[in-house]
Amino acid sequence: MRSLAFLRLDRTRRVLGALACTGALGAALWADRAAAWEREQLEASAAARSPRTLAEVRAMVQMVQRASVLTEERQRLTVVNNFFNQRIAFRDDTQVWGVIDYWATPMELLEKGKGDCEDYAIAKYMSLLGAGVPQGRLRMVYVRAQFQGRSQAHMVLAYYAQPDAEPLILDNINPEIQAASQRADLTPVFSFNGEGLWTGVGATTAGNPLVRLSLWRDLLARAKEEGF
Amino acid sequence: MSLIRQIWCLVLGAVLASVLGGVAVSTWSLRELLQTQAQLKNNDNANALALALSQQKGDAELMSLLISAQFDAGAYESVRWRNGQGKAVFERHLETPQAAQAPGWFVALLPLRVAPGLAKVSDGWRAVGEVEVRGQTGYVHEALWKASLNSTLWLVMVGVVTGLAAAVVLARVRRPLDTAVRQAEGVTQGRFETVLEPRVPEMRKLTSAMNTMVVRTRQMFEAQAEQLRTLHHQLLCDELTGLSHRRQFVAELSSALERDDGPLRAGLVLLRLKDLQGLNQRLGHGGTDQALLAMAQALRVYPEQVRGCLAGRLNGSDFALWLPAPKVVGDTAHALADALRAGLQGVDPGIGVALGAVELPRDQPMSAWFAAADAALARAEQGEGVVLELRQAPPSEEVAQGERAWRALISDALAQQRSRLLEFPLIGRERQVLHLECPLQLKLNPLGEFEPAARWLPLALRHRLSAEADLQALALALAAVQQDQRARCVNVAPASLNDGSFIARARELVQAAPAAVRRLIGLELAEPAAVQHFEVLQELGRQLRPLGVQLGLEHAGAGLAQIDRLFQAGLDYVKLDSSVVSGISADAGRAAFVRSLVVMLRSLSLKVYAEGVTDALDAQALWDCELDGITGPWASAQDIKP
Repeated sequence: MRSLAFLRLDRTRRVLGALACTGALGAALWADRAAAWEREQLEASAAARSPRTLAEVRAMVQMVQRASVLTEERQRLTVVNNFFNQRIAFRDDTQVWGVIDYWATPMELLEKGKGDCEDYAIAKYMSLLGAGVPQGRLRMVYVRAQFQGRSQAHMVLAYYAQPDAEPLILDNINPEIQAASQRADLTPVFSFNGEGLWTGVGATTAGNPLVRLSLWRDLLARAKEEGF
Repeated sequence: MSLIRQIWCLVLGAVLASVLGGVAVSTWSLRELLQTQAQLKNNDNANALALALSQQKGDAELMSLLISAQFDAGAYESVRWRNGQGKAVFERHLETPQAAQAPGWFVALLPLRVAPGLAKVSDGWRAVGEVEVRGQTGYVHEALWKASLNSTLWLVMVGVVTGLAAAVVLARVRRPLDTAVRQAEGVTQGRFETVLEPRVPEMRKLTSAMNTMVVRTRQMFEAQAEQLRTLHHQLLCDELTGLSHRRQFVAELSSALERDDGPLRAGLVLLRLKDLQGLNQRLGHGGTDQALLAMAQALRVYPEQVRGCLAGRLNGSDFALWLPAPKVVGDTAHALADALRAGLQGVDPGIGVALGAVELPRDQPMSAWFAAADAALARAEQGEGVVLELRQAPPSEEVAQGERAWRALISDALAQQRSRLLEFPLIGRERQVLHLECPLQLKLNPLGEFEPAARWLPLALRHRLSAEADLQALALALAAVQQDQRARCVNVAPASLNDGSFIARARELVQAAPAAVRRLIGLELAEPAAVQHFEVLQELGRQLRPLGVQLGLEHAGAGLAQIDRLFQAGLDYVKLDSSVVSGISADAGRAAFVRSLVVMLRSLSLKVYAEGVTDALDAQALWDCELDGITGPWASAQDIKP
């Protein structure tokens, strides 16, 4: 596993250019995975869906490649945030998927071209991981949003430059990246990321029943199958 | 490896594999399940706790209290709260780790991989680190251990039941298999026995084939025996009456007088049909023959019903009956006289028969026997009709000494081992010694001489000491063989076989000897034993022949053809009685009879020897008849190859 991780790192460097080397291998397991997008697999999965999806996914991969060579992380945030805010139209899951709540992978999101708040957050989260942002700096946050005069459940992506710093918020309601203090319309409730999330070890992850038990883990497993 | 053992190995292997495999699979999947459950519990509890902690507005006291409460109320190994830099802010953990109730090797064999549950804690937008939750897992191994024990127990029970069932089935197969094997072994040893056909189809075919083969062999044997009987009848018997003719009767009587195991005293009855010529004129040829046949009829009953009895027609009008038992001649002669009276009445009331009956000690020479009987017959001829003259010599002194004294003498001699074996060679065609015949001698009087069996064996038989004597002879022979490695054989009295413990004790003696010695030991029984004690004889063969001991018949004569189960006896050799082989050089008919006997016995894979040969011409004639060996005075006088 260790050597495999090294191999992946090498490959990431070759494909995506210089990447910040993450610390302890064990803790960075998911980060490495996320960073090492399987480009061929991604394109194959996309091609299997539709030519449009393939084009969209290629655009996303190029965007991530572009972002990964940027030196400032703040700039990477902007590239990723804009990419999804501009391409994806906001729709409820009931309209897009016909179910009350569905967590779509970035590819599913791009295929439909529309999604709701957590789909944006997820796509941004994964793209930033792909662009080399350490996982520890990213959290998905359940918030209560005051939108059009009424409060509603919402999810955003928060970026912590330092562990105890004030986060920057990547949102689809307000496409501008702003510090949390400037977003008086949002009240945070609970946050999480993929760090320490046990998704099993080895190639059988996707088949492990444990992985699919929660929406979040199920999503990660599906994304991994698609090549993220 | 035997078939049965192979099947057993297969059954045990399958049971063992299913027990081990079953336990391993069930334990393994149970471990997976328990591990998954523990993992889920960790994850979910971490998330729930993080969610609760995130609602405390960053109040560290309150959050610590919450963590404590969660820890105290649940089954946790540890609950940690770390800040953003990974430093522990607050932690609770089990002071004494829960000890697993399962053995150490079991825990080591099935390690649990349960990662702690991790969840992010925040206070509003501020990240305040993460909680790490580890549930207790000691119970997992305990549960696994118990489950493994239970499934092992259950599968072992299934295994035992399977084993029992297999044992029953194998026993069902094994019985007919063993029977078939025994039958096959019997055939190679010359015992042609049929067995019951088993119900297992494959075995039934095999057994049926074997039985058919055995039956055919028997039929062949019986045909040969029948031929032999005819030959015997033609050559050695009187044409009209079917009784032995003179020469044959004399030979048989001579053999009976010399035999060791005969009685001390015996009886001889001579009968004469008076005035044969007058009868011929009066009744005509047919009437005379009828009278002679009636006499033969009355006599024939004895040899047919009592083994050892001899009856013969000595010449035209004379008949003889030999009774090998003391104190019976009087009753027998009276009964015979009555039977003749009744039998001859129908032919012609005027017919006269004289009977002269004597009882003498058996050690008297044949001439003395005939002289005494003739004298009695001469007296009887004086009378009219059927007349009996009986003469009994007074019992000798030795017998008068009293039964108890004799018994003491013999048993003392045996107990003190005042015994030795004589050695008479049995030689083969190349003058090589095939084995030594070893009769036992006892020194009845500690200061006296060794005495031959003929003197004490009849008394030993009467006092049921023959088994002791025979066992002593066997022991001596075993010891002697061990010394010089020369084959020996000893006699076994038929009466010894009646002693229930004889076979077991003989087997013990033989078993104690090295295998090389056992192969050089032979046991032989007189031919009457083969008929009277047939089952015991068979048993003797079954017990001793597998050890290497040879089993043979001695004093075998015309009666061999009468032993209709000879093919079941399981013998190694047969010694033809001197009454059969003596005078063979001068008698082409006798030679033909002996030759057919040899052919028949050979077909049962028996070796054929001749005993009591005195004459070099006889010996040559016997070699011409393809005999395997010769014993007797002639053989003892030969230059013997070592």
